[in-house]
Amino acid sequence: MAVDADVARLRRGDLNALSELIARYQNRLYRYLLRMVRQPAEAEDLFQQIWLKVVEKVRSFDVTRNFDAWLFTLARNLAIDHLRRVRPQSLDEPLADDGDCATVADRIPSRDYTPLDTALALERRTHIDEAMAALPMIYRETLTLRFEDGMKIEEIAQVIGAPVSTVKSRLRRSLEQLRSALAGQYGEARP
Amino acid sequence: MSEHDKVRELLALAVAGALTAAEEKQVAEHVRSCVSCSNELDAWRPIATELRRLPTPQPSPWLFQATLARTEAKLADEAEHIWNRRLIIFVVTLAWLLTIASAWVFYFVSPYFGSLLGPQFGRTWIVFAAFTAMGWLAGVVAAVTLAVRQRDERRLA
Repeated sequence: MAVDADVARLRRGDLNALSELIARYQNRLYRYLLRMVRQPAEAEDLFQQIWLKVVEKVRSFDVTRNFDAWLFTLARNLAIDHLRRVRPQSLDEPLADDGDCATVADRIPSRDYTPLDTALALERRTHIDEAMAALPMIYRETLTLRFEDGMKIEEIAQVIGAPVSTVKSRLRRSLEQLRSALAGQYGEARP
Repeated sequence: MSEHDKVRELLALAVAGALTAAEEKQVAEHVRSCVSCSNELDAWRPIATELRRLPTPQPSPWLFQATLARTEAKLADEAEHIWNRRLIIFVVTLAWLLTIASAWVFYFVSPYFGSLLGPQFGRTWIVFAAFTAMGWLAGVVAAVTLAVRQRDERRLA
């Protein structure tokens, strides 16, 4: 069933619709929260709080709006409030140090995947995960919404309440900083 | 800013799929003739690919049920709150109606007031006082219910 139908049912107080919506958004929302706060226990607590907010506010939700954007905006506001209260410094974190550059040949992946390649890919993913966690919150958020969640730029703009140009600028900077943090693996950006 | 520099700034956004159709065309045309930008674009690609392939973190298995239970409890609490509010409105309305109706009762029994010393006076007075007391009692019940409810809400908050 479509999200809109579930939202309409939830607005009428149908608990089955709530159950379906939670199941549908569970992984996406949890991942977003985890990228924001970085602590699984905090992400899980926020996850529960978000659905309490949804239940409280769903009647005032404008059905012509995008539910994804509305839900993630709620999540964002709760996560930022939480960070402001618990770890205010995490909203403005220092960046990871740069490392060495690799050659162009090193940067282009081979098409013949061997078990070693798979292991290396896994290691690369771990490095990316760690490097991403070291980025400032606004950059982690932009990267996860765009790459992991697959949101369109316009949708991200709705979630963070900023113009499309700001989203693009954040996306570019976040990628540049991520690449700097992973310089040993992917090479630094060159002029 | 030269064409090369402009395209250079767009390469990261190109692998993020965040360019307009015109920008995509501009990048594609430039990269065909610029080895440096072509290499740079190739350097961006694996980062974007790995970002898209990051494993989705899994929440605790109990999270779904815990969330559902918590939200259902909230809905039940809200339903009770609404019921309590309706009850209070009903009781207060009843109290007011009884108080207002006491005027009618007074009118109905007023002939008896003509003879204050008559044998009916005691009965009239008791009926009137009892009726007014009922109205006030309903008001007191409403006030106490409201106070208890508010105290419980403050305790929960």
